[in-house]
Amino acid sequence: MASRALWASRAASYLRISVFHRGFSTVLKDLKYSDSHEWVKVDGNSATIGITDHAQDHLGDVVYVELPEVGASVTQGDSFGAVESVKATSDVNSPVSGKVVEVNEELNNSPILVNSSPYEKGWIIKVEVKDTEELNNLMDPEGYTKFCDKEDGNH
Amino acid sequence: MRVARCLEVWKMGTINYLESIKLQKKLVSDRKTNKISDTLLSLQHPLTYTLGKRRTDHNMLIPMSQLKKIGAELHYTQRGGDITFHGPHQAILYPIISLREIGLGARNYVEKLELTMIELASLYGVKACAGQKGETGVWVGERKIGAIGVQISNGITSHGLAFNIDPDLNYFKHIVPCGIADKGVTSLRKETVTGNSKQGQLNKILDGRNEREGGILGTRWVIHSQKVRLRS
Repeated sequence: MASRALWASRAASYLRISVFHRGFSTVLKDLKYSDSHEWVKVDGNSATIGITDHAQDHLGDVVYVELPEVGASVTQGDSFGAVESVKATSDVNSPVSGKVVEVNEELNNSPILVNSSPYEKGWIIKVEVKDTEELNNLMDPEGYTKFCDKEDGNH
Repeated sequence: MRVARCLEVWKMGTINYLESIKLQKKLVSDRKTNKISDTLLSLQHPLTYTLGKRRTDHNMLIPMSQLKKIGAELHYTQRGGDITFHGPHQAILYPIISLREIGLGARNYVEKLELTMIELASLYGVKACAGQKGETGVWVGERKIGAIGVQISNGITSHGLAFNIDPDLNYFKHIVPCGIADKGVTSLRKETVTGNSKQGQLNKILDGRNEREGGILGTRWVIHSQKVRLRS
């Protein structure tokens, strides 16, 4: 199984396919990643934030998402909300600092979107970024993939 | 070959719920900064009802005035899960551990908490199992014997599990336990002929379990155990 995954990721990088597959978790190109398993997509000084496929897989089915208020401040590395799954509430931390300009209200009705579509429909907040230099503190897709492998190897 | 991790077990007797919250907050903060190792609180609470982050207080069936009359407290918490009851002879474990360091996510951690209670029940000949999807906890048939409600902050756990050794199950009648209306609750005492109501049994079992394959929560620990009393 491991060698097949290695072959697949080698083939993917030769073909410049944008999706890395590590085991069953997906890591997307063009996103940046935090060490608490959140992703951020930056467009100018507008950032969209969610949790990664690895995170949603390790959480189990999300039944509730605690969203911040629009207008709230967020700080890189600090909690801005939480998700609940399997009777466990887990903090969600912001990968960037700034002001919340939009929250995904759809998650109030369908929290499961975090599991089924962690990088698209399951986005959590949008932030007006204060300082794009902060992105240098985050991991690129390859770095995040290695980080996940190391963390899972602890078990 | 993995080095065994250090686990401090605090055997605390009966402590007030708010005191335990204050203690856990401090321990979580200390664990985050590595001031302390992984810690496990073993305790009981006086008559207490608690709610989780979703504040499902529609599952509390009696008014505050009646709660006061029966001498019970009600607390809102940040843990996952619905409403539950804690009281004497219900064994509670609050692990304050770093999930990242043992490579566990929330789902695996909760599964292992369930397994811990299932194994404890089996030592008394009670066949318990984990709940179906969406019904986290430990069941004997249609009756719940163990509940789970956890908070994870920066990968550090707090709150944990509550296992009914021999609490007064009538107190569960004042709530819709865990928000599940059509199922009952039970205890080790109810399910066995020779149920034991001592907290000490749970502590002994944890000590023994660490020696056997699989350890506790899937990891081997070096356990330091001590009796701890909070200064008021």
